[in-house]
Amino acid sequence: MAATTPNDHRRLLQSAEGAADGTMVFSRRALVLGMANAAVFGGLAARLYDLQVLNGPQQSALAEDNRTRTLWVPPMRGQILDANGVVLASSRETFRIMLYPQRGLTLADASRLASELAPRLGMELSAVAAGLKAALHDNRPLPVVLADGLSYDDVAALQVGTFEAANVVVEPQHQRVYPELKPSARIAMAHIVGSVGAVDRFSLDDDPHLRLKGARVGKVGVEAGMETALRGVAGRTVYEIDARGRHVRRLDDRESVPGRAVTLTIDIALQEAVMGKLAAENDRGAAVVLDIATGAILALASTPSFDGAAVHAVGAQWRELKSDPARPLVNRATTGQYPPGSTFKLVTALAALEAGLVTPKEKIECWGDVTYSGHTYRCWNRKGHIASDLHKAIRESCDCYFYEAARRAGIDRIAAMASELGLGEVYRDAGIAPQKRGLIPTPAWKRSRTTRTGWLLGETILAGIGQGYVQATPLQLAVMMARVASGRKVVPSIVRHDVGDGHHARSDATRQPEFEPLAISETHLAALRRALKAVVHEGGGTGQAADPDDGRTLVAGKTGTSQVSRASADRDRTKPLTRAQRDHALFVAYAPADAPRFAIATVLEHAGSGGTEAGPLVADIVRLLMARDRPTAARGADAPAPAKEG
Amino acid sequence: MFYSRPLPTVFERIVGLPWLLLVGVTAIAAIGCATLYSVAGGAFDPWAARHGLRFGAALLVAVAISIPPVDYWRHLAGPVYIVALGLLAAVPLVGVEALGARRWINVGGVSIQPVEVMKVALVLALAQLYHALGDAKRASQPQWVLLALALVVMPASLTIRQPDLGSAILLAAVGLGIMFLAGVSLWYFAAGIAAVVAIVPLLPSLLHTYQLRRIAVFLDPARDPLGAGYHIAQARIALGNGGLDGQGYLRGTQSQLDFVPEKMTDFIFVALGEEWGFTGAMVVLALYASVIVMLFVMALRAPTPFSRLTIAGTAMMIAIYVVINISMVTGLVPVVGVPLPLISYGGTAMFTLMVSLGIAMGAARRV
Repeated sequence: MAATTPNDHRRLLQSAEGAADGTMVFSRRALVLGMANAAVFGGLAARLYDLQVLNGPQQSALAEDNRTRTLWVPPMRGQILDANGVVLASSRETFRIMLYPQRGLTLADASRLASELAPRLGMELSAVAAGLKAALHDNRPLPVVLADGLSYDDVAALQVGTFEAANVVVEPQHQRVYPELKPSARIAMAHIVGSVGAVDRFSLDDDPHLRLKGARVGKVGVEAGMETALRGVAGRTVYEIDARGRHVRRLDDRESVPGRAVTLTIDIALQEAVMGKLAAENDRGAAVVLDIATGAILALASTPSFDGAAVHAVGAQWRELKSDPARPLVNRATTGQYPPGSTFKLVTALAALEAGLVTPKEKIECWGDVTYSGHTYRCWNRKGHIASDLHKAIRESCDCYFYEAARRAGIDRIAAMASELGLGEVYRDAGIAPQKRGLIPTPAWKRSRTTRTGWLLGETILAGIGQGYVQATPLQLAVMMARVASGRKVVPSIVRHDVGDGHHARSDATRQPEFEPLAISETHLAALRRALKAVVHEGGGTGQAADPDDGRTLVAGKTGTSQVSRASADRDRTKPLTRAQRDHALFVAYAPADAPRFAIATVLEHAGSGGTEAGPLVADIVRLLMARDRPTAARGADAPAPAKEG
Repeated sequence: MFYSRPLPTVFERIVGLPWLLLVGVTAIAAIGCATLYSVAGGAFDPWAARHGLRFGAALLVAVAISIPPVDYWRHLAGPVYIVALGLLAAVPLVGVEALGARRWINVGGVSIQPVEVMKVALVLALAQLYHALGDAKRASQPQWVLLALALVVMPASLTIRQPDLGSAILLAAVGLGIMFLAGVSLWYFAAGIAAVVAIVPLLPSLLHTYQLRRIAVFLDPARDPLGAGYHIAQARIALGNGGLDGQGYLRGTQSQLDFVPEKMTDFIFVALGEEWGFTGAMVVLALYASVIVMLFVMALRAPTPFSRLTIAGTAMMIAIYVVINISMVTGLVPVVGVPLPLISYGGTAMFTLMVSLGIAMGAARRV
C-alpha cells in the first residue's frame, strides 16, 4: 500500500460516509435494473409458454406440413355397366411428368437435367429447358408439367424414377370416356348414365384429390347418384422435403384404390324400346318401369333426350341443348314434378278406408258436382255417376266420391298415406341424381310458406283428386304402384345390389331385398287392386286403352288427367286450347294384375286425357315386358299357363 | 504498513475466482455445443467442435485477464477505446464485405470485428469516466453527461452504418445502462425518452432499406412469407413444434431440415426450443438469469466505481443479448441480428464476452 494517493483517501472516507461516490445510488439503481431484467425475463418466459405450450399443437401441424409434401394420386373412377355388362362409362388412364419446385436450383443444374430428360421424353430440349426455367423462379409454388398424355408403356420406357431425386414425379390422370353405342342407345341412356364435371364446391371433408387440377365428379345421372362408389380412394406419396423444397426421401407411398364398377338394373335393349314407344306417343314425357319384387328400375325414359356422346364431345351442342325450350337435358322421370291428378285417388281412397271413414261398400252420390261451404266442385263427368262405391269410383274415376273421401279423411291422413306409398320423398339409395321431392302439402307446410291464410277445406278437397298443390315425379308414381301391388315398402334402385364389390360384375342372385310390409290392411289393398284391374278390364273403366290384349296379360292401373290450366275445365270455352293449356295425361299401372311383377308410371305432358293418350303407351310397355320375359317364363317347369280372365 | 494483508499470489487469485459463475457460463457454452452438434445433423463438424475449442480458449483468456489487478485494465480503458473507435471508423474504408455488410477488418492477418472490441472498450471507458469523476453529483453535470453520450453515440452511429443494427442497439443500451447506474440524473433519461419519441417519425430516412423492411415484415409477417417474414414464421413453427417437452435431442425436424434460417447463429434458440421444448427453454433462461444475478451481486460488493460499473456493464451486456435475441426469435421485436451469448456459433462475440467476464472477475476482487 505504498502508492496511496490523496484521491484514494478521500474516496475511502466518503465510502465510510456512504453516499457521495454513488454507492447508494448504484445499489438502488442496480436493484431497479435487476427487477426490470427479471420482469423482461418473465415476459420472455410467458411468450415462450404461449408459443410452445398454448399454441404448440397448432404449430406442430404446420411443422408437419412444412416438412413434407403430399402428392395425391387420383383413383381410377369405376365403370358403369348395363344389366348385361355392356360398358356405358369407363376411364382412360394417362400419365404426365411433373417437376416440383425447389428453391435454389441453379441454371446449370437445370440445363443438365434438361439435357438428360429431353431425349427420354422424346421432347425438344428447348421445351424441357423452358419448363425448367419456369420452375427455377425462386418462389414459384406450382409444379411444372414436363410431358403430358403419356401411356403406361411410355412411362415405363422412360425410367423417370431415376430422376426422382431431382423432384421429377410421374402422376396418373384419368379421363372419363363413354364408349361408342349406336345413336338410339346413346339417346336412351343419356339421362341415366349422366356425366362428370369439374368440382365447383369444396367442403372440408372432401377427398383431397378433388382439389387436384382436372378432378371430376359425377354431376347428373348414375355418375352423380353412385359418386361415392365410383370415386375410389386417392393414393398418396409423401415426400420429406428440405427447406428448398427438394425431395429428401419418400416417407409414405399408398396406392390409390379404384372406384367400384357399378352394374345397372337397366338393360339397354328394353330401355331403348321403352324410349321408342314413349317418343312415338308424345314429344315430352316420361315412363318408368320398376321390378316390384326388387325395386329395380328396369326402364327410366324421359323424352326429349339428347345424344350423350355428342354432348361430351362438343361444347356448342351443349349450349344449344341447354337453351332448348323442350329442356332435353332434364330427366323428367326423376325431376319432372307433375300434379298426379286422378292417379292420386289411390292415396285418398286408402287414407279414408284405413281411417274407417269410408267402407269399400259405401256408396257416395254424384250428380255432376258437389258443394262444400258454398264452393262447388265439379266431377269430370258432368252427368254425374249417380252413386259409386269404391270399385266404381276408382274404375270410373268419380271425382265427387274422392272429394267426399278427402273431406272425411282430412289432409293430414292423406299426406301420411302419400308418404306411406313413397310420395314426397327422394330415394337416396336409388343410385341416380338429381331427383325432385315432389310435394305432399300439409297445413304445417302451408304455414311455413305463407301466413296469409291457414289451410282451407277446398285445398283438402282438391288434393283428394291430386290437384292443387300436390306434385309427384313419374318415379314416385311408379313406386306408389309397386307398393300398392305388393303391399310392401318397395324402394327403387337403378343399381344391382346383387353384384359384388369387385371390379367386374359378379352375379349373386341369392341376395334380394326384402321390403317391409306397408301399414295398410290387406283387405283394403285387395279391394283397391280389384278396382284397379277393373279400370282396364271392365266396361266403364277409364283405362281400357291400356289393355295389352295379348291374350294372356291382365293389367291393373289408374288414369290421371291433370289439369294445368283453368281453361281446360271451362265447359263453355269457344277457343280451342293452346298446347300449354292442355292437360297432362298420366297412367300408372302394374302387371300382371294378379301376380304383379312390373310397376309402370307414364306421364305425357299436355297430351290430354290420361286414359286415351297414356293408356296405349302402357299397353305397349306391358307387351314389351311380357315379350322380353317369355323365354324365361317358358323355361320354368311350373310356370302357370297365362290365361286371360273375364 | 505491517497490518495490511499481503497481495494474494496468482494461485490464491485463481482459487478465489467466482467458480459458480464460471460453472454457469460453461454450462451455457456446453448447451451451445450440444445444440450446434444437433443442428449440424448430429455432427461435431462444422460448428460444435470449434465452438467448444473456442470456448475453452476464451475461458483461459478470461481467467488470465482476471489475474492482474483491475487497475491495470482501468488505465488501458482510454487508449483501448480510442483504438477501437479508430478501427470502427476505418471499417468503411478498409473493411471486408460479407453478406451485404462491412463489419470485418484485417489486422495482421487476423480478421476482427471492431464493433466487438468496442463493446468491451465502451464499458471500460464509461466506467473509467465515472470512476474519475468520483462524485455521483458530478456525473449529472451537463459537460460530463455530454461526454458520456458522445462516447456512446460515436461508436453506435458508426455501427449502424455498417450496417449492424443489433450491435448498435447493444452499444447504446449498455452505455445508457452504465450512465443510469452511475447516477446520472433521471431528468436526462426523461428528456432522452421524449427525444426518441420525437425521432421515430424520422426513422425511415435514417435506416437502411433492408432494416426498414425487416421492421415492416416484423409488424406484418404475412407480407413476405418466403422472404424476410420467412425467418419469423419458421421460427414460430419450430418453437411450437417443440411444445412442452420438445421433440427430443437430435430430433428437431424443422431446424435439422434447414427450415430455420441462421439456425446455428442468431436463430439457434429456435432449434433448442424445438428439441428441448418449453422446459429446455426455461432451463436456458434460468442459467442466464443466474449468471446475471451473480454478476449483479458481485457488482454490489465491488470496491470501486470502476469495478461496479464494469461488472454491471458485463451483466447488462449478457442480459441485453439474451433479451433481444429471444424476443427476436419469438417475434416480439424485429430481426436485428443479435446472437445468443455463448450458444450461438461465432468466435468474436464469444471472445468479447469472455474478455468482459475476465475483467469483471478481476474487478470483483478487492485488490
